[in-house]
Amino acid sequence: MSFSSLIQTVDLCKSYDNDGVVTPVLYDINLTINRGEFISIMGPSGSGKSTLMHILGFLDLHSTGKYLFQGQATASFGDDDLARIRATRVSFVFQAFNLLPRTTVKENVMLPLLYHPTIPPSEREERTLKAIELVGLADRKDYYSSQLSGGQKQRVAIARSLVTNPDVIFADEPTGNLDSASGVAVMQALQKLNDDGHTIILVTHERTTAEHAKRIVHIRDGRIVSDSTDFQRAIAGKTEQLK
Amino acid sequence: MLLSDTFRASIRAIAVNKNRAFLTMLGIIIGVASVVLMVSIGKTFQSYIVGLVESFGSNTMDIAPKGFEKFGGNLESMTFEDYDAIRKLSTVERVVPVIMVAKSVKYGKEEVSPMVLGGKKDIFGNYGLKLEHGRLLDDSDDEGAKSVAVIGAQSALDLFGNSDPIGRKITIGDGSFQIVGVLQTMGSFLTQDLDKLVFIPYATARSLSGQKYLSYITLKTVGDPELAKQDITALLRQRHKITNPTNDPDKDDFIARSAKQVTQTIGTVTLGLTLFLALIAGISLLVGGIGIMNIMLVSVTERTREIGLRKAVGARSRDILLQFLFEAVSLTVTGGIIGMVLGAGFGWFLTRLAARFLGPLTFILSPSAILMAFVMAVGTGLVFGIFPAKHAASLSPMEALRFE
Ligand SMILES: Nc1ncnc2c1ncn2[C@@H]1O[C@H](COP(=O)(O)OP(=O)(O)OP(=O)(O)O)[C@@H](O)[C@H]1O
Ligand SMILES: [Mg+2]
Repeated sequence: MSFSSLIQTVDLCKSYDNDGVVTPVLYDINLTINRGEFISIMGPSGSGKSTLMHILGFLDLHSTGKYLFQGQATASFGDDDLARIRATRVSFVFQAFNLLPRTTVKENVMLPLLYHPTIPPSEREERTLKAIELVGLADRKDYYSSQLSGGQKQRVAIARSLVTNPDVIFADEPTGNLDSASGVAVMQALQKLNDDGHTIILVTHERTTAEHAKRIVHIRDGRIVSDSTDFQRAIAGKTEQLK
Repeated sequence: MLLSDTFRASIRAIAVNKNRAFLTMLGIIIGVASVVLMVSIGKTFQSYIVGLVESFGSNTMDIAPKGFEKFGGNLESMTFEDYDAIRKLSTVERVVPVIMVAKSVKYGKEEVSPMVLGGKKDIFGNYGLKLEHGRLLDDSDDEGAKSVAVIGAQSALDLFGNSDPIGRKITIGDGSFQIVGVLQTMGSFLTQDLDKLVFIPYATARSLSGQKYLSYITLKTVGDPELAKQDITALLRQRHKITNPTNDPDKDDFIARSAKQVTQTIGTVTLGLTLFLALIAGISLLVGGIGIMNIMLVSVTERTREIGLRKAVGARSRDILLQFLFEAVSLTVTGGIIGMVLGAGFGWFLTRLAARFLGPLTFILSPSAILMAFVMAVGTGLVFGIFPAKHAASLSPMEALRFE
C-alpha cells in the first residue's frame, strides 16, 4: 500500500476473558479511517463502542484479526512501542473525565507532556497554557479538579488530549455527563480541533452531538451495521455498506 | 520520561496525598522509634550493671548472718572471732568486720539518717569508694577508737551544702565525730545509695552501738571466688557447729555472696528485661508494619486508576515503577530516619532522667537493632508501596482505569 490509512482493522475481534469466563464483544470489525476524518460511532448501550475505541486508541488489546496503525501491524508492537504511540499519536477524552484528584488544571493538562519523548521540557509551560486557553479555562488554570463543574472538567480533559498535538483524538461520550450548553462548548472545542486537521473519533448516543461528524458508524451487538457519510441515512441507522 | 521528571512526579504525588504519606510515615516512625528506644534502654541498663561490677570489683564478697537483709543486721551469729578466723584463710584478703550503727547523724539543725558503717580501712577499697578530699580512715583510728568520720558526697551535701565539711563536728547518736574525709560521688549500687554512707572506725562503732556481734564481714577473694566461698562456708559451719553434709543453705546461719554472683543474677534479670522490651518493640514494629500495609493497600484503588491514566497518556511501565519506587523510598526512609532520631532522642532523654537517680549512665545505641528495625520498616513500606504498583503497571491502561 503506497498510501496508508491512519487506522485500518481487518476482521478484528475482541473477547474478554475473566478467569475462563469468555465474553465475546466485537466480531469481525472491518474499518478504515483516514487522516482528518471526524467519525461518530453510535449504537445501543453495551454494543461494544467503548471497547472498540479502547482498542483503536491502544488502551486495550484485540483478540484476533488485524489492526494496522499508519500501515503497521500493531501486533508486533512491544510495550514501549505502545507507550510511545499513546504518548505521541493518540489521546483520549473519557466519559468519566479521569482527571488526577487533588491536582490543578494546569498539572492535569501538562501530564502527557511529562511522558512525551520529544517535546522538550522548556516547551511544556507554553503548550499547556495554550491548550487551557483553547478550551476557555485560562482563568481556572490553578483550580483543583474538584473545584470545577462537570463541563469544565471535560474541557480540561480535552485540553489534556490536545496538548501533545496527537494525530487522533478519541472521545468517548464526552458530553454524556454534561448539560446541553456545556455539551455544545465541548463539541465546539472538538470541532475546532478537527478543523485544524486532527482526526476525531467520537462515541455518542446523542443525535445533536453526532451531527458534528462527517461520517457515522453504527454498531449493534459487536458488529458494524452501518457506515455512512450520508448523514440522514446514517442517523436513521439504515445499513449501507461502503466498500 | 526524564529521571528528574519521575522524581518530581513522586514528590508531587506525596504532596498531593499528604494524609496517606503522613500515615505511612507514622507507621514507620512508631516502629523504628520504639525499637530504637526499647533496645537502647535495655542496652544502657545492662552496661550500667556491667559498669557497677567493674567499679565495685567482682571479687568482693560479703558474709552476713542469715536474715541480714530482713532484720536489719543485728542478728547475733557472727562474732569478732569468726572474723579473726576467716582472716587467716589463704583464699581471702582485706577482710573487714562491719558494724552498722542505727543512729541519726546531726550537724547543727540538719539531721540525716544515712547508713553509718563501722569498719576497718580496707572497707573503702572493697567497695570501690574513692576519696574526694581529706583522708580515709586508717589503722590508728581503729586502734585508738577515734571519733572521726568519712562521709559520702550526698551526705556532705545534705549536711553542709556547699561549704567544706573537713574538720567539722557531727553528732552520731551520743558521740561527737570530726569529719576527716569526703568521698567521691559514686551513685548507687542496687538499692544502696553509696553516696549517703558515713564511715567510722570499727572499734568506735562497737562501743557507740554496744553491739557484741558483727553486722557482716566484707572481703576480697583471692583467685576463684567459689573456692573462697567453700573455705568460708566450711570454716563457719565448723565454728557455729552446723552439720550440713547436703549443703542445704537453709541450715546455715550465714550467707556468703560475691558481688559477681549478685550481678550475675541481675544480669539475667536485665537480659530478661531487654528481651521483654525487644518484644514490645517488635510488636509495635509489627503494628506499624500492618498500618503501613493498610494505608498502602487502601490507596491502591485510587493509585491503580492513576497508573491507568498515566499509562493512557504515554507512561511506560518503568516510568510508573520508578515513580512509585522513589515515592516509597522517600517516604519510608524519611520515616525511618525520623523514627531513629525520635527513638534515640527519647532514649537519651530518659537516660538523663534516670541518671539523676542512678548516677552517671552512658546512653548506648545498638546499631544492629536500629539497622534491623530500619530495614524491616522500610522493607514493609517498599514491598507494600511497590508491589501493588508493579501489579498495576502490568495491567493494560484500560484494565487499570476500570479498577475498583
Ligand atoms: N472487562 C470486561 N469483561 C467482560 N466483559 C466486558 C468488559 N468490559 C466490557 N465488557 C462487555 O462488553 C460489552 C461492550 O461494552 P462496552 O463498554 O464496549 O459497551 P458500550 O457500547 O460502550 O456501551 P455504553 O454505551 O453503555 O457505554 C458489554 O456487554 C460489556 O458487558
Ligand atoms: Mg461506553
